[in-house]
Amino acid sequence: MTDVKSEKSNHTASGWSRRDVLKATSVGAIGAATPMFFTQNAWAEKAIGNYPIKGSEVVLGFNVPQTGAYADEGADELRAYKLAVHHLNNGGGMLDTLKPSKLTGNGILGKKVTYVTGDTQTNADASRTSARRMIERDKVIMVTGGSSSGIAIAQQYLCNELGIIFMCGLTHSNDTTGKDKQRYGFRHFFNAHMTGKALSPVLSKEYGTDRRAFHLTADYSWGHTQQESMQEFTEKEGWTTEGNIMTPLKTTDFSQYLSQVLNSDADVLVLNHYGANMVNSLTNAVNFGMRDMQKNGKNLEIVVPLYSRLMAKGAGSANIDGVLGTSGWNWALEDEGSKVFVKTFTDEYGFPPSQAAHTCYVQTLLYANACEMAGTFYPPEVIKALEDFEFTGAGNGPTLYRGADHQCIKDILVMQGKSPSARTSDFDYLRIVDKVDAKTVDYDPAIFGGELGPYEPA
Amino acid sequence: MNTQSNFWQYNKTVLMFAVVALTMPFWFPLMGGYSGLDTKIMIFCIFVVGFDILLGFTGYLSFGHAAFFGISAYVTGIMLKNFSDNIIPAMLVAVAAATVVALIIGLLTLKRTGIYFSILTLAFAEMFDSMAMSMLQRWTGGENGLTGLPTPMLFDLKMQGDTVFYFCALMAIALFYFAKRIERSPVGLMMKAIKCNQTRLEYTGINARRYKLLAFVLSAIYAAIAGSLMVVYEPFVGHEFLGWHQSGEIVIMSVIGGVGTLVGPMLGAAFMLYFENVMSVNLGEQWLLVLGVIFMAVVIFMPGGFMEAMARLKKRFFTTIDGE
Repeated sequence: MTDVKSEKSNHTASGWSRRDVLKATSVGAIGAATPMFFTQNAWAEKAIGNYPIKGSEVVLGFNVPQTGAYADEGADELRAYKLAVHHLNNGGGMLDTLKPSKLTGNGILGKKVTYVTGDTQTNADASRTSARRMIERDKVIMVTGGSSSGIAIAQQYLCNELGIIFMCGLTHSNDTTGKDKQRYGFRHFFNAHMTGKALSPVLSKEYGTDRRAFHLTADYSWGHTQQESMQEFTEKEGWTTEGNIMTPLKTTDFSQYLSQVLNSDADVLVLNHYGANMVNSLTNAVNFGMRDMQKNGKNLEIVVPLYSRLMAKGAGSANIDGVLGTSGWNWALEDEGSKVFVKTFTDEYGFPPSQAAHTCYVQTLLYANACEMAGTFYPPEVIKALEDFEFTGAGNGPTLYRGADHQCIKDILVMQGKSPSARTSDFDYLRIVDKVDAKTVDYDPAIFGGELGPYEPA
Repeated sequence: MNTQSNFWQYNKTVLMFAVVALTMPFWFPLMGGYSGLDTKIMIFCIFVVGFDILLGFTGYLSFGHAAFFGISAYVTGIMLKNFSDNIIPAMLVAVAAATVVALIIGLLTLKRTGIYFSILTLAFAEMFDSMAMSMLQRWTGGENGLTGLPTPMLFDLKMQGDTVFYFCALMAIALFYFAKRIERSPVGLMMKAIKCNQTRLEYTGINARRYKLLAFVLSAIYAAIAGSLMVVYEPFVGHEFLGWHQSGEIVIMSVIGGVGTLVGPMLGAAFMLYFENVMSVNLGEQWLLVLGVIFMAVVIFMPGGFMEAMARLKKRFFTTIDGE
């Protein structure tokens, strides 16, 4: 009973062993399942994921957080997606500014674009179940969304396995296109490494090259990569790092950590926090009087590497006045692509879009355009069309969708909080200090490791 | 010994469940379900049946069962990633690990009853959650979850699509049958006696702690099998698996379905997952609100859950026939 094959052929003679029963059960299970495989067309020639598409409509899956901590951002992303679908079907918006573009305003490859939505609940497991529903039941050809790196990475793995292209929404961790990069995942948003690279020169110009930094870091993947990148690039500018404390994600009161910062020799506080974490830690720091303090004969400064309008609003403009950080995009940008996007978005919804909305909108258009360029929905061809695609007119200047790691290399904005008196509207919290161009933030994709994997999923 | 007809009579519920479960891929898509969700329902059926052995039989409400589910899922994931992509050793080690943890937690927490027990189990689960998120991040992947696992294999069989569904369904049927056997056994009777009146049971000279521990560990094993299958079904471990939210969801499933009936919690699990993934789409952002209203309605008007509702309906329409 050592050879598996012989065991299988003569099990009737030697009687049923437990192993035989197990095997027979599993074989029976496959047998019973066979009709399903055929109806799903999974083994037909060249079928990958939900390709080929039947009928005259193509379905996109928008999986965003509708409940939970990032629900606000999710709602804004969904608005952007709906606008993108409207523009793809009827023309208008960035279809007029994106170059090169084969988009016609008549759907994708002549098929009308429809969509289904799902709720990721800001929960990786829920996001995967929801993505599965879109793929298995609603037959989407592409999934996009996510408002947190962990969730984006989880969905990216799932989609890669099932042969569905995943266009990442808001995700800033180096891992998404670093060690966890996948052939079927694409990210338009920038990452922590690029933040460090863009922000550090501005910091040393503003605050001098002999600064001592203390980091408070959200204790998870994004925080870790953000902290590493900030430390690496500020030290290149001549700064020293006094210390770093990992703060649990659930922390709401940062006083104990801040008092350690005060007891150190540091004269710059770097808050590697996002969302509610950053709102709380910054507010705590302001309450400690840290923004009016002197250390080593210099003003104590606070830096928030990743900024968003919603965070600035949460912290309050009196607290963020003058604080530096980075953003992927801002509605105040004056280029053609941004202007037309802000205008159509504001006409539709009554207020300007967030950077999350921008990246989601652009991702949808880029996917559609790649299908048009490839002339098919066949995923490997679409992926090849996206890889190393260079374009302009999407709001970030000339942009490259790098083939080696599926990361967009584009301009990044260094932002500064506006004082209450300088604000002109309810959405005006941040001022653009510097536009760091794509060449400056570019980096070698090999530094993070990871493998994209094959074009055709196993 | 049972005669043949007695056997069928005896296991009517198990057989009915088996028929419903095994034909699921054929009728589930007709009501808006999809392959993948049916697998998840089977896995959660295992989880809640095990939970019902503890809550339904002994009356101990654990708020920390996600610990066993999550630990088992993480161990399975780590085994698949570093040892072998065969699921058998991974599942065995995972269940063994969770069992050991359950023994320790059980010994420590079962000294208390009622709310104190619930809070202790919750505290233990939260401890594991924090550990996975901080000091064990290197192995668990922290907030990102454990990603990059290979496709799980059952020897030469890829555990994907319907294969994994039938694997989970067969496990669910077997484990449901086992739970039914426990229910009818003397041990099951002891467990139920603990729920009725533990003090009186102890006065008769019976060591109630032994049975409590047995129920606790058994339900933890069920949770561990479910957690392990979750990774087989989807090669990914989210840190949510360990969270209090997961523990709470199991309690809600049990209550909605009907505690102590074994079948009820499975109905509750199926309903919750179906609602969360299918009906929620039509309701948009408000789906959690609607679910809350349903939950309250069930608890206020039908404390026995779906099973009570079914019994009432049956009584209403069939009493005259049954009565005569």
